Amino acid sequence: MAFQRNMDLKKCPMPSQDPNVRNHNFDEVALGYTYDMAVSEARRCLNCKNKPCVSACPVAIDIPAFIERVTNEDMEGAFEIISRSSSLPAVCGRVCPQENQCEGKCVRGIKGEPVGIGRLERFVADWHREHSKEAPKMPVQNGHKVAIIGAGPSGLTAAGDLAKMGYKVTVFEALHLAGGVLVYGIPEFRLPKAIVQQEIDNLKAIGVDIETNMVIGKILTIDELFEMGYEAIFVGSGAGLPRFMGIPGESLKGVYSANEYLTRINLMKAYRPDSHTPIKHSKNVAVVGGGNVAMDAARCAKRMGAENVYIVYRRGMEELPARKEEVEHAMEEGIIFKTLTNPVEVLGDADGMVRGMKCVEMELGEPDASGRRRPIVKEGSEFELECDTMIMSIGTSPNPLIRSTTPGLDANKHGCIITEEETGLTSRKGVYAGGDAVTGAATVILAIGAGKQAAKAIDEYIKSK
Amino acid sequence: MYMKLFNKVTDMIEELIEVQRLVEDIYLESSESEQIWLESGQEFSKTIDIAKWAKDRYNRNVEDSQGDPGKEFAFMYQIVKKEHLNPTVGKMVVEAPLIAKKAEPGQFIIFRAKEDSERIPLTIADYDREAGTITIIYQIVGAGTMELDSLNEGECIHDFVGPLGTASHLDGLKKVAVVGGGVGCAIAYPVAKKLHELGAEVHAIVGFRNKDLVILEDEFKAVSDKLCMMTDDGSYGEKGVVTAALEKLINDGNQYDEVIAIGPLIMMKFVCQLTKKYNIKTVVSMNPIMIDGTGMCGGCRLTVGGETKFACVDGPDFDGHLVDFDEAMHRGTMYRDFEQHAREAECNLLKKEVK
Repeated sequence: MAFQRNMDLKKCPMPSQDPNVRNHNFDEVALGYTYDMAVSEARRCLNCKNKPCVSACPVAIDIPAFIERVTNEDMEGAFEIISRSSSLPAVCGRVCPQENQCEGKCVRGIKGEPVGIGRLERFVADWHREHSKEAPKMPVQNGHKVAIIGAGPSGLTAAGDLAKMGYKVTVFEALHLAGGVLVYGIPEFRLPKAIVQQEIDNLKAIGVDIETNMVIGKILTIDELFEMGYEAIFVGSGAGLPRFMGIPGESLKGVYSANEYLTRINLMKAYRPDSHTPIKHSKNVAVVGGGNVAMDAARCAKRMGAENVYIVYRRGMEELPARKEEVEHAMEEGIIFKTLTNPVEVLGDADGMVRGMKCVEMELGEPDASGRRRPIVKEGSEFELECDTMIMSIGTSPNPLIRSTTPGLDANKHGCIITEEETGLTSRKGVYAGGDAVTGAATVILAIGAGKQAAKAIDEYIKSK
Repeated sequence: MYMKLFNKVTDMIEELIEVQRLVEDIYLESSESEQIWLESGQEFSKTIDIAKWAKDRYNRNVEDSQGDPGKEFAFMYQIVKKEHLNPTVGKMVVEAPLIAKKAEPGQFIIFRAKEDSERIPLTIADYDREAGTITIIYQIVGAGTMELDSLNEGECIHDFVGPLGTASHLDGLKKVAVVGGGVGCAIAYPVAKKLHELGAEVHAIVGFRNKDLVILEDEFKAVSDKLCMMTDDGSYGEKGVVTAALEKLINDGNQYDEVIAIGPLIMMKFVCQLTKKYNIKTVVSMNPIMIDGTGMCGGCRLTVGGETKFACVDGPDFDGHLVDFDEAMHRGTMYRDFEQHAREAECNLLKKEVK
């Protein structure tokens, strides 16, 4: 062995902005490993034979192999290994729920903390971005055209893979900016938009055309895209309409969906004083829900100057579906967790503005179908929580525009497009789908995995024609 | 005689050669994708390749812009025509061939005047499929519409998305009262026009605050069998509100299949109260606060018949008798102070008087 294995039980800590500074700015929270930290953390990897981390990665990155390159200080080599499997490593290193995936299975995690795989992935991707001089090469064209609907993680992944195989790829995006949830949803402090833009520029450099302001299903239908000569179509139209709880008072002024709140802040830059898109600057904010989106909304609200920000979640701390790191960061930044609490009514003042919400306390009963313990209302536990803004973050249902304008495209009762699991093929020949449009609200890495699978299947389909 | 004919034929041949030369010149000057259309002679929809079309336009713009930064990207939504209908209402004809091909009355677009501007929904006021243009009519109310108004003919709108929302259901209607209030007339007009084209009897009732604010009078005249012009102060047409005129028409024995009301929320509310009394189906066009307009943000939600609906994908047309107008009016005022402030700031910036 050419190097000393690092047997520290703990991960090398991530340098990050001080919580009481960062909760007033939108700069990135985690600052990233230094070169020495990355090499030292990489040396914690045992390079074990059965590689449980790889099997727990939705896109099966050869994790021990890339980490070995890092230990040997071959950063470009490490990047090359990651990019064989993942098209957006700088993004995934930042937003993947590693504790449920690669790091959750890491052998080092049995006794002590797992290897910081996500942090290393991020380091390698950032190192490549900063140091690589090589311009992306334009692949040899094979003369076939493919259309991608939606420039989010699944669409961009499929576009990148297909373009590298030589397909002429056009990505149609409904908003004025490409990136999907990476630009409208995930905030700047968790994923700087310059990184997303760089990934998009790389795709453009290998010949991918991105057409913004194109709402497929309205301006052009799937069938018209086929008429225009696209041989296969990938639908990655993402999550759609936000869900509301159906309790009284949800139409009061000051009740936002998390989608609306985050879109105003991230896509429309409402956090900047010179933005033309307004947002409410609130004193007390209650965010209903416990996922990553809820954490993002709560942390944005804090940064927008709110004094008290609550996460209101009907299950317990253990059951929070958000990434562990996001919960920790939120707590450090002073977000107040009101778990085992469920709103039953939004209260308004004479002007129709939110002034608070009526909540009940919950307790956990027997596990339900999802395996999580079912929350039950505690009798007589009603109380009022004072807030002037309420953000609903309890999930979305898939966007209806494509399925309602594409005859023969089957969806399930939730509105999710039905696909073959292995290929992403829908009930329409030549039409593939993936990401939240298929799964309902899920993670970036699952969408990337679906985009990769579909790209492979589309390639096989067109070649076999 | 023979020589005369021979000379005539020779002249014609020479003329044809000249024409051919001209055609060749045009062909050489044209862009790649235009050449494909010229060659194939196929229908526009079958052959248009947006990517290519956009790229050609981009390249041409780069040449035209001659190093003027930013100009090369302004290739999509050029303002072909701009005029003011009254001091606060403007009209623009915008080049957007793909949207023009699909647009139907009742649908809307979302625009951003400039990079970093707000996204603002506007109902499509007219479209010309042949010319590839969309007409929008806007009232200058805030910073976003002011920015739009600051653009001139030949300049381009930064973003222009559509056609969004579901089209108005107009088929099968025989006799309809179309009620428009203020700038809402801009939306009521294409509905009246389409109904007229479909052969329905159209009674248009349009209301304005005063004579100076009247818009689209000639247009309405051309597409309606009866036009009632109402002003609040009586400075033009008849003095009074649109509901008074509508009630009179109903009492005169006019039996309408449907009433379509488009205008300020308060006007639509009163029209609905009236028609409910007479039990006439009434459709209203809602225009709530919206961001993406594609069914993502949920900001445009409203209560219709006790259910939460989204104006961008479920509407903007709804059954007026089921809409909760009071709630919609409340929600519409969410950013009034911000708007007021932004408008004053923009006015200062443009050195204009606050209207």
